[in-house]
Amino acid sequence: MRRLPLALAVAALLTFATGCGSLSPPGANTATAPRLVDARPVRDGGTAVIGLKSDPDKLDPTLTGTLVARTVFTSMCEQLYDVDQHNRFVPQLAATLPKITDGGRTFTFDVRRDARFSDGAKLDAKAVTTSLDRDLHLPGSGRASEIDSVEKVEAIAPYTVRLTLKHPDTPLLGRLANTAGLVMSPKAIATYGKSFATHPSCVGPFKYVKRVVGDRIELTKDPLYYDADKVHLDHVVYKTITDGNIRLANLRSGDVQIGDQMGPVEVRSGMGDKALQLLNTPSLGYMALTLNVGNTDGVDKKPGHVDTPFGRDVRVREAFDLSLDRELINKLVFQDMYEPACGPVPPGTPLSTPVTCPGRDVAKAKRLLKAAGVHTPVPLELMINTTPEDNRLGQVIQAMAKDAGFDVRLRPTEFATGLTRTLAGDFQARTGGWGGQPDPAGNIDSLVGTTGSNNQGKLSDPEIDRLITAGRSTADPAKRRVIYQQLTRAINRQHAVIYLYRNINYAVASKDISGIALSGDGLIRVKEAGYVKGGQG
Amino acid sequence: MNRVTGLLTSYLGRRVGQALLTMVLVSITVFAGVRAMPGDTAQALAGEQTSPEVLAAIREEYGLNDNIVVQYWDYLRHAVTGDLGTSARSGLPVLDSILDALPITLELAALALILAVVVGIGAGIVAAVRRGRPEEWFANGVALLGMSVPTFWLGMLLVLAFAIAMPVFAASGFVPFGQDPVENLRRLVLPAIVLGSGLAAVVMRQTRAAMLDAMSSDYVRTARAKGLSHRAVIGTHALRNSLVTVITVLGLQLGQLISGAVVTEQVFVLPGFGKLTIDAVFTRDYAMVQGVVLFTSAAYILINLLVDLLYSVIDPRIRLGGS
Repeated sequence: MRRLPLALAVAALLTFATGCGSLSPPGANTATAPRLVDARPVRDGGTAVIGLKSDPDKLDPTLTGTLVARTVFTSMCEQLYDVDQHNRFVPQLAATLPKITDGGRTFTFDVRRDARFSDGAKLDAKAVTTSLDRDLHLPGSGRASEIDSVEKVEAIAPYTVRLTLKHPDTPLLGRLANTAGLVMSPKAIATYGKSFATHPSCVGPFKYVKRVVGDRIELTKDPLYYDADKVHLDHVVYKTITDGNIRLANLRSGDVQIGDQMGPVEVRSGMGDKALQLLNTPSLGYMALTLNVGNTDGVDKKPGHVDTPFGRDVRVREAFDLSLDRELINKLVFQDMYEPACGPVPPGTPLSTPVTCPGRDVAKAKRLLKAAGVHTPVPLELMINTTPEDNRLGQVIQAMAKDAGFDVRLRPTEFATGLTRTLAGDFQARTGGWGGQPDPAGNIDSLVGTTGSNNQGKLSDPEIDRLITAGRSTADPAKRRVIYQQLTRAINRQHAVIYLYRNINYAVASKDISGIALSGDGLIRVKEAGYVKGGQG
Repeated sequence: MNRVTGLLTSYLGRRVGQALLTMVLVSITVFAGVRAMPGDTAQALAGEQTSPEVLAAIREEYGLNDNIVVQYWDYLRHAVTGDLGTSARSGLPVLDSILDALPITLELAALALILAVVVGIGAGIVAAVRRGRPEEWFANGVALLGMSVPTFWLGMLLVLAFAIAMPVFAASGFVPFGQDPVENLRRLVLPAIVLGSGLAAVVMRQTRAAMLDAMSSDYVRTARAKGLSHRAVIGTHALRNSLVTVITVLGLQLGQLISGAVVTEQVFVLPGFGKLTIDAVFTRDYAMVQGVVLFTSAAYILINLLVDLLYSVIDPRIRLGGS
């Protein structure tokens, strides 16, 4: 058994070294040896079809709410900052990292001078302020709450932007390296207004051509792009193929060249296919089990008193946590292709510190339940999604928790219904994921802070709130790292959000195509992708 | 002749009136049904990682705060002018999406129908004429298989066999016939086989049963006694009379063909009506669901009308309007 991880590590390393391995088992060692790029030389021309897991919503950076839309934006809309393969922030449309002054209340940065939008408009400081103002003030903006610390956006010189903040907000840089940092053409904004999504125009290697809802989004190479010399493909087509098996079948038949967000089962199924290659990177998010400890009147109301053993006594929650074996969950449900998680801060990011998972301890769990004085088995209704994976996850949790004295009843619930019930506080426990951001604040503040808009279980702890504020207002990375280490411990002491596992982003691609990059944020970049000599296209 | 034309006109007028009334009833049912679905539309559209302000803005923009009667009236008022609204998810006009999807599903259904008619009627005749022989057993076996095999599984099997192992056909996608006829067929043959296989089996069994019934009837015996050839008895007398039953079944099954396209379109990633509907339901995209259902209802109503008219062409004994 000991030899398997070693073999997997060697396989992963070989794949990384050659840059063109066949689809080989990544196993648990992918986190230490992820393969993020395929850098074989390519020729110009051809069309790459990318299979997406779901259909993007509005192709409007201000209004979008889906990760999959961001995947499309990587080809047609660049952002002020980007995340490199080491999860560090790097300028993209900004020319410099922001100069943070005035005790963290002012962000000043320059923007590129050589960029044009696909509709011919020029990128300058004014274009950036137009975009950010729209993000802040357009009704329905999904970005407004992300950058609500910004009080004023100014173009202080033709290519210099200054953001004045209401309060210090160090994690703002992380949000400018996310959807909020996407810059839209001021000309298109003026022409189409709220209907920008029908004619999206940004700075990017490819420009929008056409969209057929539920089917495909067609892009073509943008000759105005400042880095057009590096762009090899003529066209990129994003095709929605929701079923993983079908996505894999299309990859194998050659109808699709790149499969985004492939699940463990499909990656395993495709192994051994010599025409395919695998790219993978650890996710910045997490999957967790959230217990309702204070959501009595809705997520937007003040925390109340949930009168259940889980709501009343932290020892019951700790016992539940101790009944779970994260390693085994990963093996049984995800074919050992994800990673156990026990904290909100993604490992491998600049502010992360190692966290030790508590491990399964049924005897201690039973002792805790006895000390809490509850009748066993302690009932718990666990809401899960209706996917096969979630079903398996629920069953494994049910079986493990039973050993410690819990009676878990599973309630598979369709997404929209589950979401409504969760936000209304009509649940005891639910499994769910968080997409994740490189800055730890993005994985913590809104999820466990007392006033957090996504604090579904309504956990409320003064120590956690204090540390959240400290993390936001501290600029020194070393100090912030300590704060987020303390914050992780404080959250874990409450056992209200039980972190279970961390996805690994898997992208499967045809070996005919190269130059694909999978950054730390898990998004596929095809800016420099192309067909290798002899490939189709 | 004038009497027939008069009957036809009055019949058509009555049927169009019924059709319009049905459409209004369908729209009310769908409107109420979609809104009765559990789960908040605004939340489903905005996703999990959103703020209360965004939800409020979505509700305001799509009139979700209005009374349901106001919402329906607003919808109906726009629908009669051809404006089916804007997809709350993609921000694109619903009508555009429907017009993109409609030809795909119709072409798929037409191909599946042709396949079902040719194979089903052919096999049904053979099974009836060669009763008790291996040909009948074979046809029955294939029909049983056609009805029993799950669509999703058959689709995946065909993709594995004919798109991956032997790449004759494409695994997914759609190319319009006008753009590239060969590529169009390359992409539609497999889904048409999947969609048509169940119907072909039903048609085969119906044809066989009707043919057997006809072949044992008095008029066929009379035709034989008159010295008509075997081919003429089967083709002119038995088959013609059997077709009334078969067409009735086809008419009933056609609607199911369109709704059955849902699974086939998922397997072959065809951006047709089925796929559009599924995506719209899961995202609570009201305008899209309503638009798609209205179009599908119109198709059902039109098909039923055509089937009724075909009765009279094939069997003159059937009088329009029952007079």
